[in-house]
Amino acid sequence: MSSRQIRFATLWRREVNRFMKIKKQTLGAPLLETFLYISVFGAALGSRVGELHGIDYVVFVIPGLIMMAFSINAFANNASSILQQKFQGAIQDQLSSPASPLELLLAFSLGGFARGLLVAVLTFVAASLLVDLPVDHLLVLIPSLCLVGFFFSQLGVLVGVRAEQFDDVAFAQTFVLQPLIFLGGVFYSATLLPQPFETLTHFNPIFYMINLVRYGFVGFTEVSVALSLLALAGATAALFAVNLRLFSRGYKLRA
Amino acid sequence: MSPNALHIEDLVKRYPTGVEALRGVSLDIEPGKLFGLLGPNGAGKSTLIHCTTGLAQPSSGVIEIFGHDAIGAYEDARQAVGLAPQEPNLDWFLTVEESLDYHAGYFGVPKRERRERTAELLETFSLTEKRHERTRALSGGMKRRLILARAVMHRPRLLILDEPTAGVDVELRLELWHYVQKINQEGTTILLTTHYLEEAEQLCDRIAFIAEGQIVAEGSSEDVAERFGTTSLEDAYLALVGRKELSRSHIELTDEVAS
Repeated sequence: MSSRQIRFATLWRREVNRFMKIKKQTLGAPLLETFLYISVFGAALGSRVGELHGIDYVVFVIPGLIMMAFSINAFANNASSILQQKFQGAIQDQLSSPASPLELLLAFSLGGFARGLLVAVLTFVAASLLVDLPVDHLLVLIPSLCLVGFFFSQLGVLVGVRAEQFDDVAFAQTFVLQPLIFLGGVFYSATLLPQPFETLTHFNPIFYMINLVRYGFVGFTEVSVALSLLALAGATAALFAVNLRLFSRGYKLRA
Repeated sequence: MSPNALHIEDLVKRYPTGVEALRGVSLDIEPGKLFGLLGPNGAGKSTLIHCTTGLAQPSSGVIEIFGHDAIGAYEDARQAVGLAPQEPNLDWFLTVEESLDYHAGYFGVPKRERRERTAELLETFSLTEKRHERTRALSGGMKRRLILARAVMHRPRLLILDEPTAGVDVELRLELWHYVQKINQEGTTILLTTHYLEEAEQLCDRIAFIAEGQIVAEGSSEDVAERFGTTSLEDAYLALVGRKELSRSHIELTDEVAS
């Protein structure tokens, strides 16, 4: 391995090591949460709702839950990790190393991505044990999940860099992210909503992400898959460019 | 002629608040020297160190480490520097051993070398028994040892020590200085800031006084004392900060008159 590869692998390993050391909080809690959603919405409500667009309600809900698990964990990991390191001053050890802004940004991003992916895979495995979950369009599902994970990793980095206290991260997650995810159609189809809520849902970017992932699993979507993928890729690239600029300038990282 | 270990030219650091922490600092440190940077709190010592190590962005000026640009294409420059900061900045999630291993990894040191170097430094700094403990559980003295061990983990050619003995007991202070002198004799250039003037006088080949973001005197401790018209570094420092009345010779003289 070259010096640069060792450096990048170590930066990334540090991020993974951090969340693996507090597994109960970073992996256990989100898994339990998803299991509770499946139990409540699947077993309890699902039997009464029956089917949505010809799909078992619990099966309709699970892709959204997997996307939610991926996104929230990728976001929370990066936002917390960066803020904690800024708070402790430990980030100085990385900032004073020969690592470039790109290496630092990628390592942080992929740390959150790894946690989100792990929780999403575990959620998928657990859900598959409870219900018969199809994977209809793998070639849409994989890029969709990757883009969703990377988008929220970038969002976590952005919030972590900008945050000055833990309240800032909690605010972004509780008052912005979670409402957008819940109102993006994880538990329902937008077509069931009365106007103007149906139209308003189309202004929520997370609605498109949920539909992409749902299409990958069960083959049902309320939006154009190609257009959604393109828009998501564009938004992710734009966010990455913003973060790279912040890292290069040392915004709220260097004095 | 080999380049200086550290070459700083007309360095200015202006914070967004408008405060000018460094106002055209120029400084050269030859390879292998032990250089002391002294000055009162807020003089610009830490800012200068932060600019040199990439923790602060200079507003203008030049910083070169062994001839490598430390501001723009900084990879080679950073590779050559080790920093033991004034404030403990250890990662709470890591153990003592991991702190050393990860640091060396950030500098591209291969795994086997990291393992050997970690064992060597744990032993040198009497940290072997604590190697599996999380850093937040360490005492203040142990944290200091770890910070110095981490700074030298990747074998830097220029070691920057920002008040490394602040708040440590006498035994540890002497232990740290012995180690610093040893690696200096082996060829490592050292830039040291300290408030202990006697130590600076004993240890450093050259000394610079910094005040209000400017280097106001530089040379051997005798040169610096002479520059302020005094006979000791301590008196020179007191003259620098405008507290000549605290000079020991002044107090002794006052005592004699009183008796």
